[in-house]
Amino acid sequence: MSAAAAVLRRLTFSREVVLLGVLIVLMIVMSILSPFFLTVNNLLNTSRFFVEVGLMSLGMTLIIITGGIDLSVGSNLGLSSVAIGFSFAAGLPLPLAIVLGLVVGTAAGLFNGLFITLLDLHPLVVTLGTFALFQGLAYGATGAEAVSDFPGWFAYFGQAYLGPVPGQLFIFIVAVVMVWLILSRSRFGRYVYAIGNNEEAARFSGVPIRRVKIAIYSGIGLLVGMAAVIYTSRVYTARGDSGLGLELDVISAVVLGGASIYGGSGTIAGTVLGVLIIATLRNGLTLAGVPSTWVLFVLGVLLLVAVFFNEFFRVKEE
Amino acid sequence: MKESKMHRKGGRNVSTRQMWGFKGVRALLLMALILIAASCGVGQQAQQGGGGGGGPTKICMMPKLVGIPYFNAAEKGAKEAAEQLDIQLVYDGPTEAKAALQSQMIEQWIQQQCSAITVAANDPNALAPAMKKAGDAGIKTGAWDADVAQDARDVFVNQATFEAIGYKMVDLMAEQTGGKGKFLVVTGSLTAPNQVAWLKYMRERMKEKYPEMSIASVQPGEEDLQKGIDITKNYLQANPDTAGVFGITSVALPGAAEAVKQIGRQGEVAVTGLSTPNEMKPYVNAGVVEKFALWNTVDLGYLAVYVANAQVEGNLPKSGTFKAGRLGKVKMLAPDEVLLGPPVVFSKENIDQYDF
Amino acid sequence: MSEARAPTEGRRVSRGEVLRRFMVRPEAPALVFLAVLVAAFSLSSDKFLSGTNFESIVISVAVLGIIALAVNQVVLCGEIDISTGSMMGLCAVAAGAVALSTGGLILPLLAAVAVGALCGAINGLLVTAGRIPSIIVTLGMLYALRGVILLVTGGTWITGVPNEARVLGTGTVLGVGYPVIILFALFLVMELVSRHSTWGRNVFAVGGNRRAARFAGLPIDRVRVLAFTLVGVFVGIASVIYMGRAGSVQTNTGTGLELQVVAAVVIGGTSISGGRGSSLAALTGAVLIGVILNGLVLLGVPGIWQQAVLGALILLAVATDVLRRRLVEGKA
Repeated sequence: MSAAAAVLRRLTFSREVVLLGVLIVLMIVMSILSPFFLTVNNLLNTSRFFVEVGLMSLGMTLIIITGGIDLSVGSNLGLSSVAIGFSFAAGLPLPLAIVLGLVVGTAAGLFNGLFITLLDLHPLVVTLGTFALFQGLAYGATGAEAVSDFPGWFAYFGQAYLGPVPGQLFIFIVAVVMVWLILSRSRFGRYVYAIGNNEEAARFSGVPIRRVKIAIYSGIGLLVGMAAVIYTSRVYTARGDSGLGLELDVISAVVLGGASIYGGSGTIAGTVLGVLIIATLRNGLTLAGVPSTWVLFVLGVLLLVAVFFNEFFRVKEE
Repeated sequence: MKESKMHRKGGRNVSTRQMWGFKGVRALLLMALILIAASCGVGQQAQQGGGGGGGPTKICMMPKLVGIPYFNAAEKGAKEAAEQLDIQLVYDGPTEAKAALQSQMIEQWIQQQCSAITVAANDPNALAPAMKKAGDAGIKTGAWDADVAQDARDVFVNQATFEAIGYKMVDLMAEQTGGKGKFLVVTGSLTAPNQVAWLKYMRERMKEKYPEMSIASVQPGEEDLQKGIDITKNYLQANPDTAGVFGITSVALPGAAEAVKQIGRQGEVAVTGLSTPNEMKPYVNAGVVEKFALWNTVDLGYLAVYVANAQVEGNLPKSGTFKAGRLGKVKMLAPDEVLLGPPVVFSKENIDQYDF
Repeated sequence: MSEARAPTEGRRVSRGEVLRRFMVRPEAPALVFLAVLVAAFSLSSDKFLSGTNFESIVISVAVLGIIALAVNQVVLCGEIDISTGSMMGLCAVAAGAVALSTGGLILPLLAAVAVGALCGAINGLLVTAGRIPSIIVTLGMLYALRGVILLVTGGTWITGVPNEARVLGTGTVLGVGYPVIILFALFLVMELVSRHSTWGRNVFAVGGNRRAARFAGLPIDRVRVLAFTLVGVFVGIASVIYMGRAGSVQTNTGTGLELQVVAAVVIGGTSISGGRGSSLAALTGAVLIGVILNGLVLLGVPGIWQQAVLGALILLAVATDVLRRRLVEGKA
């Protein structure tokens, strides 16, 4: 096969192009199911809903590339959210409360990272424990109450528009670019892939494994904090159970985007497409009048199908 | 950056990965272009979905959550009303009782050109921004069963006043216990506004009319049947002189009844509260629960649709009464509040007439 | 899931000391902790050790314990199952529906076990033939099955289950509740199977070092599929007990159970990386959780703190496991 044809073949079947095709097909299907889907207003409105999941998925991509996982992101969001709301209600000026939320999110992520690296534990069980712990702390510390009395300007994070475009979309785009740069254009990014491909070999090559891992778990913590700010602003309430269940969407998006759950591969572009596909599904199905109970089922099945095809095509390529 | 590790064992080589990343970015740009082109060309609804924008009336009604009998009953009534009025009904809600999920759905409904949106709110303040947006878009806004913030909706369909419910439950318990004793209250969550309000009126009623009755403890069952059973059992075993148990949600009451039955103390410990008839039939028939209260949830759903329709047609009165189909004349408690009626008391005599 | 690390050789008894041999057992810390807690609670509250209270603790953890015994096997062979909550809900729905239409006990039980076994087998096949990591499979199934419950029931609860179908939950034999009897019976069965059957020993081998097991010619896929299916069977049994106790089946039945099950297994001493653990660990973990939750209620701790306590316990358990192994077996 000539070189040109080989390149063309790789271009045609690259994971991201396939996903793009899926996304376009999905959008066509959704617009047939509901005339309201493919309007500027609806698409922009939908973009407001996926930014939180999107931010967390960016961080989750790095974690999954190293072969780890983080089940606690949803609970962490709730914890950060109540940190913002309740510290504000207790008298802290809102800007400081927001910073506190970011700090809490990052600290929670750091806790995960330290537990995993210092004790050499499997991320699965550690984050399963922190999933319960963070949620429990969020509930217990707030007595399962909610805070909703925010000043008007707080809404800007989650509800403001720059022209017709929602504000948080810009935050998301900036985050995408930054994480993409880190992952594909920096030494840190190569360390991440190296750890995922073969941790022992990476250790012998001098990759500072512990520091990298602590960094990525803290990093997702920071992204969770940001997502918490946007989420709390969008729903205008700080509650302990905010964000519960989002880990399914986050992990699904990353896996859908082509990352192998065993580690070693994955891209930001793929993850972003995964996020868009899931958002399209959720929004499109609701607009088409499909009851929420079906949506739940569809997303569970989607995760399974996505991973199955992932591994199926991966073996084919090798 | 272009290390040529083309033949690394067992996996992607690094340079391919760099290519994926770059290609991925190009793919994303391509997609963004397509999106913009598509949305400009297709779908000329540049304005937000509006109310009364031609076409049949579409009422969009949202319960706190789907999947529990109480809201299934409301759906039944709502569908009946929609049929009678010959309008379109969308009845849907999140699968969990979370305000965040509700507000997201409301915002999606705004795009769907509902004529009116009415919601049973999980949190009155959290839904306010979304409902206000709906109002700004020309959609008629309302609440039913559990209110949102007053400035976020035009009308609230109330099933019974908090006072009536609280007083009725205490009266029922007083009948069975001679107006004295210490009582356990099993509630849903300690923060649900309606449950908090009922407790307040219960205490008020006890203070006024039955000073020898008192609430010894309030425990949250979190809408979990098994938890309600366990909590009641544990409490009764630890406090055997308890005169009775109030179960004030549709999950808490059957749980309390089951617990009393399992420890064999029916007849000694009175059980009453709020729940749906179908859940309670076995306990009423077994004599564990003599009487309990609720409102006709089917009628509530029916009324909510009638009210929403009246909003759309513009003929909802500001006071006096309002004619709602087979319910006849329904009272307006305030310019923005409609009352279904007094609570219904269920007992062995009448429970078989109801099916919800 | 990453491959198992260098094989942990279970109990490497260096000296003949009985104490040392005990402390090396995977369930040792949990048993000690349990004893300490029981002592502490009974000292601080005289209602704790009353016969009814203790029996009610065990009954309330019977469902948890039975499922934990089976999930223990899955964890031992190096996988995980977090779909058990939704699975139990679905089995309970099946049992309830059959009980309402045909009555009796055997048919509902069979229905529940059949549904459970089917779900478990699907999990197992997706993990082995589909080559999907078990965390993802069971996460997807957790949500998919919950959706199935809502779809199948249309949101209505199943109420008024006839008494004969509720025997396993409420009946007693010689004064001891059925749940307790079934729990201990299944525990004995699992102990025997785990230690003395080929499959049971294979489970340890597959979990301890999968590559070595493969080279040794063990039927890795079959071992795992059986483990997942067994979970389904036990979940089916447990669901009939649950239905018996609760008297009705809600659409959210079983929500959150999966976390408690994994917590029980891990807290009891079974290692999450596979190959180390025992049925006693699972049982101890379940009882420990029951004691803690019961104790919290007795001490007046508000229910909202339960999740936090559960999470902290999981972390404490895994940390202790690692530290203890380093200490006792002298690993760096």
